[in-house]
Amino acid sequence: MKLADFQSLFQESVLTGSGEADKPLLKKLRASPRGATPETLLGVYQSGYRLRLADFVSQDHPGLRAVLGGEAFEALIDDYIDQRPSRDPNARFFTSGLPDFMRDCPTWRDDARAVSMALFERAMVDAFDAADETPLAVQALAEYPPNDWPLLAFDFDPSLTLLELAAGTIASYDAAISEEPPEKIDAPAASDDVEYVAVWRVDHESAYRQLEPDEYVALCEARAGHAFGDICQMTAFQQSGEIAPERLAQCLSSWFQDGMIIGVRVGGDDQSSNTPSSA
Amino acid sequence: MEKPAPLGYGLGLRPVYYDEILSSRPPIDWFEIISENYMLAGGKPLAMLDRIRADYPIVMHGVSLSLASTDPLNFDYLRQLKALAERVEPAWISDHVAWTGVHGVTLHDLLPIPYTRESLAHIVERIQRVQDFLKRRLVVENASTYVSFVDSEMSEHEFVREMAERADCLLLLDVNNVFVSSFNHGFDPVAFIDGVPAERVVQFHMAGHTDNETHRVDTHDQPVCDEVWALYEHARRRCGDVSAMIERDDNYPPFSELLDELQHMRDIDARLSNERARSAA
Ligand SMILES: [Fe+2]
Repeated sequence: MKLADFQSLFQESVLTGSGEADKPLLKKLRASPRGATPETLLGVYQSGYRLRLADFVSQDHPGLRAVLGGEAFEALIDDYIDQRPSRDPNARFFTSGLPDFMRDCPTWRDDARAVSMALFERAMVDAFDAADETPLAVQALAEYPPNDWPLLAFDFDPSLTLLELAAGTIASYDAAISEEPPEKIDAPAASDDVEYVAVWRVDHESAYRQLEPDEYVALCEARAGHAFGDICQMTAFQQSGEIAPERLAQCLSSWFQDGMIIGVRVGGDDQSSNTPSSA
Repeated sequence: MEKPAPLGYGLGLRPVYYDEILSSRPPIDWFEIISENYMLAGGKPLAMLDRIRADYPIVMHGVSLSLASTDPLNFDYLRQLKALAERVEPAWISDHVAWTGVHGVTLHDLLPIPYTRESLAHIVERIQRVQDFLKRRLVVENASTYVSFVDSEMSEHEFVREMAERADCLLLLDVNNVFVSSFNHGFDPVAFIDGVPAERVVQFHMAGHTDNETHRVDTHDQPVCDEVWALYEHARRRCGDVSAMIERDDNYPPFSELLDELQHMRDIDARLSNERARSAA
């Protein structure tokens, strides 16, 4: 048998687990001198494969386990492993596709809380090893004359993700990662309520903060490259009410304080690639 | 054979020990990193690595090069590996006699191959291309295996010897892997060590494994066992002064226990060199 055919056969048997598909491969195995059955030995690879991938998902998604409960979480992991085999040589990125998988999959896509949690936890993982930038202190603004201020636009840390999530996601996450996490987090009554969250990195660790609706819109617009002076007039605020310049200035100062801002420049532009993700 | 200079006694760098290492600067000669864990855009892993690199030599050990795979070499991966090497300036870069997947899929495991002429020609050609790309000799490690194949035309150590000589690469001798595979397949681990070209060995791995009675599994979650220490002694006698280290990847003990294992290694080596000095006198 050619090496390529052998590898296809071996991989198939690892991906599908023990069963009929193993038969041709089992015939290729030498007998164990210690009396281990060929099925047992092949099983080291088969079970190791699933355990390893399941472990990657568990490490990245304690909150998802808590909102789904152990059994449903294991079922989700099984589905994900079966349907989205890893294609990135770096194991770190195996779990990256989980939220999209859930949104595509009829079994999981209607569970807005679970999808929200998956998105939030992916943002936490992504923030952890996003590219390094140096945050600016609010004093950076002093370099600009007050006349320029309405024209100022801002660059944000690459770790920053803005999320619109099902209401209660953050409270569930906090409970799940607390010292004594409950077996399963009680689901809040299903509703269309949402909450807004910023996820980014501070001092080497992922951080998150809930945002008021007006701050969320302002931050999305600022991250899209719009100038400070323009944001006040954005139509986006018409649903969530006016945003007063004082309130926007207060938001801006907290973005500086949080270490989210890495650059200031005069003149905004439209970076439509910076649109926020949402559930 | 031109080889990088020996580094002494090292340890696999794992995130659980970052704080301890940075605060106590333990008496360890060098660290080995899992390359993939640092092939990232930024953040804490790279920041910790930079700080540790400032004080210790580093060796880069990969698990995803998939040298024996019949898929095309992954040059995206290789470019990232090379970029990391430019940052870290490792003493050397290693990976395994193994494949991790085909058809674009990766199983995140070190998978076995039949030891055939075809496999040999295949891996030799790939090691050569990787070495050309990285512009340095690659260090290649024997993996633990749980199955062996009726199609094999030679023993594992014959395969490793010919691979190393034809590809002109260096070798990482994982003493625990020799032991685990010899147990699982019934070959003589001493003959394995005697069969690999000692002049190409630049590094030893030592680790613990799990004993399942009918087979042993390379889990790196236990202390090194007595049989593997005995085999280490033989490897040391045969290969001389090469860099040696402990790999621990699960069931992490207090850091001091790993330092004790390194001390055990130093004690064995001191005894061996005393013996050598006495027999020379
Ligand atoms: Fe090893």
